[in-house]
Amino acid sequence: MASIRPASRWTLLLSLVVLISCIVVPGLTVKHENFKTCSQSGFCTRNRALADDASAKGASWTSPYEVDPTTVKFDNGQLVANLIKTTNNGEKVQLPVTVSFLDSGAARIVVNEERRLNGEIEIRHGSKANKKRYDETEKWVISGGLDVSKSAAINPETETGFTKVLYGPNHQFQAIIRHAPFEVEFQRDGQTHIQLNHQGLLNVEHWRPKAEEGTGEDEGTWWEESFGGNTDSKPRGPESVGLDITFPGYKHVFGIPEHADSLSLRETRGGEGNHNEPYRLYNADVFEYELDSPMTLYGSIPFMQAHRKNSSVGVFWLNAAETWVDIVKKSASSNPLSLSANSKINTQTHWFSESGQLDLFVFLGPTPQDLSKTYGQLTGFTQLPQHFAIAYHQCRWNYVTDEDVKDVDSKFDKYQIPYDTIWLDLEYTDDRKYFTWDPLTFPNPKGMQEKLDESERKLAVLIDPHIKNKDGFYVSEELRSKNLAVLDKDGDMYDGWCWPGSSNWVDCFNPAALPWWKSLHTYDRFQGSMHNLFLWNDMSEPSVFNGPETTMPKDNLHYGNWEHRDVHNINGLTLLHASYEALLERKKGEIRRPFILTRSYYAGAQRFAATWTGDNQATWEHLGISIPMVLTNGIAGYPFIGADVGGFFHNPDKELLSRWYQAGIWYPFFRAHAHIDTRRREPYLISEPHRTIIAQAIRLRYQLLPAWYTAFHESSKTGLPVVRPQYYAFPDDEQGFTIDDQLYLGDTGLLAKPVVTKDTFSTEIYLADDEKYYDYFDFTIYQGAGKRHTVPAPEDKVPLLARAGHIVPRRDRPRRSSALMRWDPYTLLITLNKNGEADGSLYFDDGETFDYEKGAYIHRRFQFRGGVLTSEDLGVKGPKTAEYLKTLADVTVERVIIVDPPKEWKNKKTVTVIEDGAKTGSTVALDYFEQQDGKADYAVVKKPNVGIGKSWRIEF
Amino acid sequence: MRLPQSLLLLAVVGSSARASSDKIPRPRGVSPDFAKFYQDQTTFTCISNPDTRIPFTAVNDNFCDCPDGSDEPGTSACSHLSRNSPLSVAERPGHSEAELKLALPGFYCKNKGHKPSYVPFQRVNDGVCDYELCCDGSDEWARVGARNEEARQKAMTAALKKKKELLDVAAKEEQGIRDEIATVENEVKGAEENVRVLEESLRVVEEQERKVVRTKGTGKVGALAGLAKARVEELRESLLEVRLQRDETKRRLKELEEILSKFKVEYNPNFNDEGVKRAVRSWEDYAAREVAEATEVSDADLDEIAKADGKDAGIDWEHWENQEDGCNDSDLVYKLAAYLPPSLVDFIEEKAISVKSFLEDKGFIAKSSGSSASESKAVTAARDALRAAENSLNDLKNKMNDKRDDLTKDYGRAGIFRALKNTCISKDAGEYTYEHCFLDSTKQIPKKGGGSMSMGKFARIGSTTVEEVDEAGNIITIEKVALEYERGQHCWNGPNRSTKVILECGEENEILKTAEDEKCVYSMLVTTPAVCPGGEEEDAASAKDEL
Repeated sequence: MASIRPASRWTLLLSLVVLISCIVVPGLTVKHENFKTCSQSGFCTRNRALADDASAKGASWTSPYEVDPTTVKFDNGQLVANLIKTTNNGEKVQLPVTVSFLDSGAARIVVNEERRLNGEIEIRHGSKANKKRYDETEKWVISGGLDVSKSAAINPETETGFTKVLYGPNHQFQAIIRHAPFEVEFQRDGQTHIQLNHQGLLNVEHWRPKAEEGTGEDEGTWWEESFGGNTDSKPRGPESVGLDITFPGYKHVFGIPEHADSLSLRETRGGEGNHNEPYRLYNADVFEYELDSPMTLYGSIPFMQAHRKNSSVGVFWLNAAETWVDIVKKSASSNPLSLSANSKINTQTHWFSESGQLDLFVFLGPTPQDLSKTYGQLTGFTQLPQHFAIAYHQCRWNYVTDEDVKDVDSKFDKYQIPYDTIWLDLEYTDDRKYFTWDPLTFPNPKGMQEKLDESERKLAVLIDPHIKNKDGFYVSEELRSKNLAVLDKDGDMYDGWCWPGSSNWVDCFNPAALPWWKSLHTYDRFQGSMHNLFLWNDMSEPSVFNGPETTMPKDNLHYGNWEHRDVHNINGLTLLHASYEALLERKKGEIRRPFILTRSYYAGAQRFAATWTGDNQATWEHLGISIPMVLTNGIAGYPFIGADVGGFFHNPDKELLSRWYQAGIWYPFFRAHAHIDTRRREPYLISEPHRTIIAQAIRLRYQLLPAWYTAFHESSKTGLPVVRPQYYAFPDDEQGFTIDDQLYLGDTGLLAKPVVTKDTFSTEIYLADDEKYYDYFDFTIYQGAGKRHTVPAPEDKVPLLARAGHIVPRRDRPRRSSALMRWDPYTLLITLNKNGEADGSLYFDDGETFDYEKGAYIHRRFQFRGGVLTSEDLGVKGPKTAEYLKTLADVTVERVIIVDPPKEWKNKKTVTVIEDGAKTGSTVALDYFEQQDGKADYAVVKKPNVGIGKSWRIEF
Repeated sequence: MRLPQSLLLLAVVGSSARASSDKIPRPRGVSPDFAKFYQDQTTFTCISNPDTRIPFTAVNDNFCDCPDGSDEPGTSACSHLSRNSPLSVAERPGHSEAELKLALPGFYCKNKGHKPSYVPFQRVNDGVCDYELCCDGSDEWARVGARNEEARQKAMTAALKKKKELLDVAAKEEQGIRDEIATVENEVKGAEENVRVLEESLRVVEEQERKVVRTKGTGKVGALAGLAKARVEELRESLLEVRLQRDETKRRLKELEEILSKFKVEYNPNFNDEGVKRAVRSWEDYAAREVAEATEVSDADLDEIAKADGKDAGIDWEHWENQEDGCNDSDLVYKLAAYLPPSLVDFIEEKAISVKSFLEDKGFIAKSSGSSASESKAVTAARDALRAAENSLNDLKNKMNDKRDDLTKDYGRAGIFRALKNTCISKDAGEYTYEHCFLDSTKQIPKKGGGSMSMGKFARIGSTTVEEVDEAGNIITIEKVALEYERGQHCWNGPNRSTKVILECGEENEILKTAEDEKCVYSMLVTTPAVCPGGEEEDAASAKDEL
């Protein structure tokens, strides 16, 4: 009776099912079927077909667009003309074009369509959609820099068939407009850097009625389009705009985030190592996104830089609709128009958007810094964040109770690991109703915030734009009664599915939504919220679980009857605009810098919020891609970004987690986050030695916060990235153009190369120049231009070098939070360059208010020249300067470390310190320490005790 | 191990001030125990690095000179000297190679009128008064602190009292068991005697019976075979029918499971629809459950059974119908088995019992008593009486063994958990109520309905190390009693759920916190007087303050 039976087939089958499920559980791949490829998108297919057609016809292809020379007018920096499109059946379509030459040196070209502009079209299905091409993107995105240049002028030496405009500083720039076929060339110093419609791919799909008998053209993608069970009614028919933009002599293009891809963008029309699909910009909640892909992600910035040795130029495609960009690199020899002698490659890009007007900004550089600045003048610089926001953020989906939050808070203190902000994902709400607290799990939100406030820590909570559709929920009822929601194509309140189930979406395009959204955030309406509560606006693409491509139907209607199609990519931006206003003054008279984290973004979002790379995964590959992703956002004017440390989905092992912290401290936005189904992984839970490794990494970030804040300040004034890629730091070094796995922190000369592969205990750091670079921790010297140097990277070490010639401000005393470091003294780390010189700067303010606009800040320039270290004021005095400086009277420099000092200092025992205004100098001790084995000597000035806000000199 | 040292130091600090160091004022932040290092008012020698000597004016000058931090007992200047800090060679110039050893446990805070304590250096002069650790001169704290101390003492006393009660109960229970064992031993003896007597009487009765002539049942087999044949045919047909139904159900189940496993793979967990997640979890549990010991037979076996009977397959009825010879009718079914294909034997053996009892019920065959179908009532009665006596003896023996086993089982020190066995406590946490029944089980009970989930059944009393921070901010490990519960509900793609219940001294039996440390591995922090120090007479002397 006890004989063992062979397993029946059924048992086998079940085991197989179980086994297969086990294998598939970590589901690491994106659901491709949820997102369109180019061939599934009508206008992408049409524009690519046009490119293929033109390419096949070669020289015989002529663009059917020409300027009507009789309409050309130039006045006050602006050129207007009519562009004529001749259709297949000989119809002439009028397209008014405006080219503006701006003070900043940028040029802007806008093409509209006369019939749509005048509303002389009929739209189908009785749709109420606005008849015009959407022309309000500018209103949301552009914050300044549109002043036209008074000095721009028609070039007197212009041959017929052309219009030439000289502009820019000293008329260095020239726009050459060929009338027929239409083409624009942009020159700098007589050399062509950018060509528009050079390939003849300009395409403005004019309005046409749907003819019963058809037009003879392939209308397959003109009208209704279906995808994934959703049908887009497309009441205005085909209306895309497209244009080719060529960068002659440029081999590298960067930018157009957000994609999980390398810094240097790849070709998109196939071939070894290239993509087959164009880079797509259509903000979407892409679940478990894939790497090295041109697939769209959560945010879009259609700003591209082309770079070659000694020159950077760029374009900004201002369009809020779905956009695709094809990139092809061609050998320049086949292009006789190229004027550059040494260039070999032309990069041809092809841009097209589904609707809206064609609106393009052209930047002629010549440096990457110029591009950042000019682009930033238009779309705004990154806001100077609250100081806590650049420290460490501890997040998890979810901290489950208010007691849990307090427990995590005390554990960080127990293990003496600093953090500044703890985050609550959606589960804190009562039944997913934003602006409420779950009465069971968060009975005492104020007690929790008060506890955090004891160490000046903050709370960030999730507030999303979808509002639970429920009677009795005041936010839902007000949204309905005030008519502030997005409408469906029939003009009814749009109802979709998101976290709370049935939901409606606030339409922040509606001006009336702003005061309402603001009112929801006041202390008296958002009950239980305190001054140390900040916002996380998630799902703002918007994410709609049951919508096409997990977002809204394109024929939904927003305020002004604009179709969702027209505004999709700026939807999240409008929410940010409202949330920013809401946080600015939650209580009358209490004005503070808002802090918001957004997932969806567009150009301009940098003015309002930080962002992150969305729902990544706990894999080494995701850790690796985070560096180029962060760098790309930085050069695209949106530096305040990071990736979820540890990876959102799945469980990282200890090595991966530790390495991720060591990398994460170099993200401008430094936050750990984890999915609800993962194990707890707060740093203190990790067993030794990894706990110490992680603690050291976090403390390194805190130690360098003075340098980080200074870099953020610089970014807020000049648009420069906070962390910079190799090409940006050394734009003349061609070998560095594709390097995207190491980064520079601001101007500090600190060069970090996080380890992003398993079991890797040394790394190769590329050095561009011949200065010495010192290991940050033991001062080992690395030197040698244009090559990679092996740097040890044991598990407990972040590979980090300090370039000679810099002065780095630090604060060495570890505290519980960054706010508690406020009164601590500084350490200056000095590395002298070949000439025995060094430079650095420091910016600091209250980290919270806008008082810095009234002079309440310190901004110092540190210089080491001829054996003298000086601190000079870079600030401009304002009404609050004196008062602020008084509060900093006791904040001093406690230590100056000079790495690799002149050997003659060996016998030096003291240096002389002279503070401004002091009658006599004082003498303080200098100690010289020798090192062996390729490690540099160093000297320490002990307690110069000079005021950080004062001018002084130290004579060595 | 830094712990014992600093604990010791604190104990001394707590007792009374030291006379020797009273004359020279101690620098700020120095405790009486370290005062001796700060006597020399001209030169200070770093405590752990005596090679480094600095002028005494450099003590507490807010600059860190000593590689062990000992020159800054009253400031945060040396707070960066910590394993958690990213130290470069220049932070401990000339000593960067040496192991980092801190000389001082922290900033010494007198807490005037109360228990002194050390504050981590990183908190000195950070602008926040650390009420919990140190707040000299704060009247508010003084009152709260005093109350706390008093309450603590009170709770401690109460806890100890309860523990003693528990020990009493435990001791009584143990004694009770010993008493019972003694009683049962006597009963066993009685029962053994009884069995012996009954065996004897059975033997006697059987002897008498042998003399009675048995009646013969000729020709019965042939008739029976006829009936059985018809019956078997009927059963065969039903089997075929049931088999078809089974195959259809199996097909549907398979289809359903395929749908579900596809659903499990393809659903988007990021959308966090509770209904969907619950369904997926249930599916996971379902799929993870071991399939109940299969009682199925292979299709080949069934095919074999389903074949019509004849010479080559099944039963050769003809042979049986013509059989004249009588035999023990009830063995018929077993004999049938001998003619079946060998692969079917197991199955048939299993089913035989039921078929046989069916036949018995319908009166086709006589009920069997195991030895003889035609026993007299007297024999049966005697046999039954003997069997009853044997059973009762076995029961008693089992009971006795159980009790004896129980005595040797680990019930903790002085058997204290005997008193808590099956005491259940529970705690609400968010969506669930967690339940702990001492030495029995742990459970998770959803508040929003649905069945409760076993987080483990009691396995053993063990121990675990817990990290705590001493007054100086050092992480130390402490050994605690832990009740281990294992083999709870199975987890999808993981182990069976298990729980480690970590016990702390407290006045009440109470769950403080439940956490899922790893997938399906839980820890529960529970207070109980049972682990409070002291109370066990022999250990009373060495009791230490652990509350």
